[in-house]
Order: sequence, then C-alpha cells, then structure tokens
Amino acid sequence: MVRWTFALALGLWLAVFATLRLFIIPPAPVSVLTIYMTLVTVAILLFVMANEARWQGFLAPPRAVFAGRVSRPVQVTVLAGLPILVGFVAHLRLTPTWDAPFEPRVVHPQPPSSFTIQGRRIELAALTNPLRSDPAALDQRIAEGKTIYYRNCFFCHGDALAGDGPFAQVFRPLPANFRDVGTISMLQESFVFWRVATGGPGLPKGATPWHSAMPVWQQFLAEEEIWKAILFIYAGSGSTPRTWEEGTADVNRH
Amino acid sequence: MSTVIERLLMVATLVAFPVAVAAEVSMEPVPPTPVAAKPEAGQKLYRTHCIQCHGPSGAGDGPAADRVYPRPRDFTLALFKIRSTPSGQVPTDHDLFRVISEGLPGTTMPAWKKVLSEEERWQLVHHIKTFDTMGVFADEPAKERIVIGQPPQVTAELVEKGRGIYEAKKCWQCHGRMGRGDGPSAEGMKDDWGHPIRPVNLTKSWRFRGGDRLEDIFRTFTTGLTGTPMPSFADTLPEAADRWALAAFVKSLSRPQRTSQVLRAQRHVGEIPDQPDDPLWEQVEFVDFPLAGQIILEPRWFTPAHDVITARAFYNDRETALLVEWDDGSHDDGGNGPSPLDRVTVQFPLEDPAALDGEKPYFVLGDPKHGVELWEWSGDGRLERRHAHGAERMEPVAVGSLRAQGRYRDGQYRVIFRRSLTGEKGEAGFAPGRFTPMAFHLRDGRHGEEGLKMALSAWSDLLLIPETPWTVHIVPVLLALLTLAGELWLVRRMRRSAPLSV
Repeated sequence: MVRWTFALALGLWLAVFATLRLFIIPPAPVSVLTIYMTLVTVAILLFVMANEARWQGFLAPPRAVFAGRVSRPVQVTVLAGLPILVGFVAHLRLTPTWDAPFEPRVVHPQPPSSFTIQGRRIELAALTNPLRSDPAALDQRIAEGKTIYYRNCFFCHGDALAGDGPFAQVFRPLPANFRDVGTISMLQESFVFWRVATGGPGLPKGATPWHSAMPVWQQFLAEEEIWKAILFIYAGSGSTPRTWEEGTADVNRH
Repeated sequence: MSTVIERLLMVATLVAFPVAVAAEVSMEPVPPTPVAAKPEAGQKLYRTHCIQCHGPSGAGDGPAADRVYPRPRDFTLALFKIRSTPSGQVPTDHDLFRVISEGLPGTTMPAWKKVLSEEERWQLVHHIKTFDTMGVFADEPAKERIVIGQPPQVTAELVEKGRGIYEAKKCWQCHGRMGRGDGPSAEGMKDDWGHPIRPVNLTKSWRFRGGDRLEDIFRTFTTGLTGTPMPSFADTLPEAADRWALAAFVKSLSRPQRTSQVLRAQRHVGEIPDQPDDPLWEQVEFVDFPLAGQIILEPRWFTPAHDVITARAFYNDRETALLVEWDDGSHDDGGNGPSPLDRVTVQFPLEDPAALDGEKPYFVLGDPKHGVELWEWSGDGRLERRHAHGAERMEPVAVGSLRAQGRYRDGQYRVIFRRSLTGEKGEAGFAPGRFTPMAFHLRDGRHGEEGLKMALSAWSDLLLIPETPWTVHIVPVLLALLTLAGELWLVRRMRRSAPLSV
C-alpha cells in the first residue's frame, strides 16, 4: 500500500479537482475553486506526512525520477512535462476573459419615509390599502384590478403572474415573479404601492434605477387603480401581503 | 380497338386516382379524449386564466386584446391555425390541448403547462369548444388526423432537395428568397377576420406558432394554417418525403439565438471594411440583443414589429465600427407614401463611464442627470446624431466623425456605424478594455413605428478587446524556465548525494 502512496495522493487530488470542476452547476468561480483545492492539497499533504513510512513512500517516486533511477523516457516526460504544465496553467490564469463587470444590486431597497404621487405627499409608514376596508366590494375591486393588470402589467409580469410575460426576457433585472415567496408576499402593500407608483426611476442608487424597466405608474394610473392592481396581484398569485398586525391579512382571498 | 383501350385506361385512371389520393397523405383515427368535460370547472378556469385576452364570450375581445399582436383567437368561428386535421376541418382535442400546453411562440399566448395541471388544461379544451357559434365541433368533429410519423435523418442532400422544392413550389413568393417574409406577394395580406397579416420569417424558428420541431413544420404545410393565407400543401406535395425535405430546408434557415451581455470588438490591423457585405464581417463574433415594446414612456407601444437585433464590432487604431443587422419584410425608405421610415438607433452614455461613479444613464433615452448619445440611421440612408437627457430633452448635434453605410437586401437591413475612437468634444470616447454601455432602438415604418413607438433593448456593454499584454506570454515562459531550473538543480543534488550505485 505504501508503495502506491504517491499515485493515490495524486489520483485523489485529480479526482477532487475534476468533481469540483465538472459536477458543480453553475460552475464555481475560480477563486472559490482555488480555495477548495488549496485546502485539499494541505489535507492530503498532512495525511501523507503524518506517518513516516507513508511519507517515505510518497517521496519515493519523485526521488526516483530526480535521481535517475527510472527509464529515460519517463524521466524526460516528467522533467519536461512539469514546466510545460506550470507555464500552461499560468497562461490560463493570466489571460483575461472579459466577462461583463459585476454590478451589485439591492433587490428590496429601503423605501423612503414619504414620497410624492400626482403632486401629493404620502407618508409610507401609515399607508394601507384603502380598498381593503370594504370587504363586500373586494371581489369587484379585484376584478377591476385584473383588467388593469392585463392592460398594463402582464407584458412583463406574465399571464400567470410568474414574471415571464412576452417582454420579460429582454430586461435585466428580470420582472418580479409574484408567485415567488421572495417577492410581494414578503412585502407590505405600502412598499408595493411605492414601487408601483414611482417605478424604476424611483429606486435609490443601490438598486440600479437606470436598469429597471418598471414604468412610473403614477403617470398612467390613478391612485385607486394602482391599489386595485395590487389587490389583484396578491389575489391572482395566491399570496397575502406582509403585515405587522395579526389578523389583517386574511381579508385577502384566493 | 383503340376505343376499348381508351376506355380501359379511363376506368383504370378512375379507379387508380382515388387510391392515389388516399395514398398521398396517410390518415389515422383521432385518439379518444382522455378527460371528460366538467362544464363548471372549465368555465371557472376560463374566467380565471383566459378571459383577459379571449373575452367573456370567446370572441377574442378581452381587455388585453387590443394591446397584443397577433390578436387573441376568436373561438366563435371555430377556425384554428394549428391542426393535425385536413384543411377545412376543426382541430382535434389533442391539437387544442397541445396549443394550450405549449403556447403559441411569437404571440402572447403562454405555455399553460407551467401553471395548469393536465386535467385543468383538458377542461379548457372542452370549454373553448362551447364558444363555437357555428356548431362545427358538434356537427363535424374531427374523425381522422394526418399521420406524421418519424422524421428522417437530416442530411445536406435532404436540405438541398428541400431548397429545390421551396423554389419550385414558389414558397418564396410570400416567404422571400432567403425566407425572411419579404416575398413579392407578402404585402397587403389579410386573415379571415380582415386583420393585416404577414408571412412568417422562416429564419426565426423560435416564432413558429406550431413549434419548430421537424414534425411541427411538416404538419404546418401538410394541413395549412386555417384563417390565414397559408394553404395546405397536401395536394401539391403529395409525397411525404418531399414535405420532410421542405421541413428540413425550412428548419435549416434558422440559427439558434446567441445572446450575451457583452459585445466584444476585436482589434483589427488595417482598414475596417466599408461595405456591410464584406466577408470580413462574417469572421467577427456576433451577439443577438432581444428587444421589447417601449411600454415605459407615453406613447406606449405594446406591439413591436421587431424582437431582436444582431450586432458585431471591430476597431483599429483610429476608429470603431459597429455592424447591426435586423430582418424587416417591408422596406420603408421614404418611397412608400405615408409610411414612416425604418430606423435603427444605437445609444451610448454621453459621459465617460469611469466618471459616472457606478451610475448609468436611464436605459430609455437617459435622464436629466446623465445624458445619452444617439446614432440614428433611417431607411433613406440619412444619418443623424442626437444628445438626449430623457425623452423630453433631445437635441440634434453635428454628425462629426460619425459615418454610416447601410443597405437593404432580401428582407434584411445591414448598417455599419463608424466613429473615431476618441469621440467629439463633450462626449465619451471608446477605449480598449473599457466596458461602454450600449442599447438599441428599432422602428418598422410599415408597422406604424416612429418616435417612442419602437422596440428597445436593455443596456448591454460594448468592449474593445485590448491587445493582450506581453506579460501574458512572457510570465508563463519564465515560470516554466524557473521550474525547469529547479528540477535540474534537484537532479544534480540528488545524483550527488545518492549515487547510482543503489
């Protein structure tokens, strides 16, 4: 067994490398791969060095090569191959790939305390959906919201409210998927209202307002129409707005 | 004697002819519908998922109908495009199920299999048949459908044979010589409802309504597309082998889309080709940039004609050249009376990206804080340059060092923009190694597109690939030599300490 230490160590190292490189999807960044492989190298070396016999067994093949105790072709292959490998890896690492620069983006930015809609100042903290106060009329309001949604929003946010409308693939960031628990169901209606009313240009700098294709809906829709559309995106996607008070969320129906 | 032979021949023909017809397109019985109708469930599903486009009575007049193109199907006349049944017949339940499940590419009809169960989709099949005011589904249900069978192996010979059929059967009269929907008969077509309709661009297989598998293309010209000028070719192309060859040829006209965030411009030694058809352009990497309707600023435009623009770029010591190409079945160069001109616009930030501190101008025509530069080429060959700080603040500026050279051929525009690397006073230059944001606008005059009625892209990046620094070549060689030196040192040392006598 000790005789094969070097081959086993090298084989293990290559196996780990191949696994990390080929079977992680999407591929891990080179920096992460480097950290993993450094750890793997250290771990293998520590294991090999922990036992004197194993260590000698590990050193034997390289020693044999350098001391000339192997056939000439093997010696030449190793002595020539190693520098070529080093040069090749260095070349790969040094050649620039020219991928798009990474642009960090805040997905749910901190909303302002107040904002202006159609010339009126609105405090966000105290804002609730006024249409929820009349449960008897709720179904009718949701139906009206549905009409507004399909005349304005579905082009990006999709027929099934899954953020996959006919134009969705063109825009970065992708339009929000309302069926995803990470979107409207973790947001208060006041936040959603702010995002709809002020659109992409209303975002703070950290949320890359220049990329967002979300229109400034207060230019197209009245305040009440925005609230109706919000009722519909919750009802239509089977989600409920986040609230701070218990028991107010279940006025919403599927 | 001769009359006997004539008569015999006539009888033989009469007998043989129907046999031949029956043998042309083989038919099979329609498989049974696996799920029985539950009218209430069907109606509820329809009202939840379909009514927005197809309307309460199935007439294709829901609230979204006038903002989508092509218009939603009117179910009341029982005319359906995608069928496995002979021309003039209603589709099978399986045909309807397939369309509901897979959607109609190139339209706003989505693939409902993503959200609805099979049971729910079958209920919708039953429900949309209830809108049939003509009673066709009840009186003349589909009994037989065409046998599609296994598609053949696609070979170069098969594609060539298909090309011959495309020529001989005059497919090009509507679909154009290169298949871009620009044939001489393409203009002025209407569907059965009187709405304008254009022949499909065969180079955009991702927009084929019935799908773009070989079997789908085969089915489309075997059965035709009801309600449109696309006829069934079952009679004119009776041999299935011919239809497979044509399908293979049609399929070969499209290439997969290649999208990327970055358009890489290679450095070119010498003069950059002047002509859009210079073969040198074919050697450069191209990127397809998807386009959407401009639905952000008033007037909003929900039904753009274009869905993609392709770009390539080059640069040399003095200038950058950008080649853009896009398909347009109608050539609007100012000679078509009231039609606006076809136009392409390329948009860059006005300021040096490095000076923007991580910000960019708003992707639609910039904003008051950060302006954009627009290069605009029109179908009549005119080139304009503008600066914009939002749609309200646009001013024309001198063309300066910007040049453009464009042409229209076989349903496709190709336009080269060239400009000095440094740019004019007050605007950003291009520098190797720098990512310059870039966006596109396209307008199809025949489709009524002008001003903000246009298709647009998001920001992407133009990158002039810098010359590879010499260190990339030298450092690996040095490292290799260093390794070799280390090895030789080890060899010498080991041979001295452990002589070969072991």
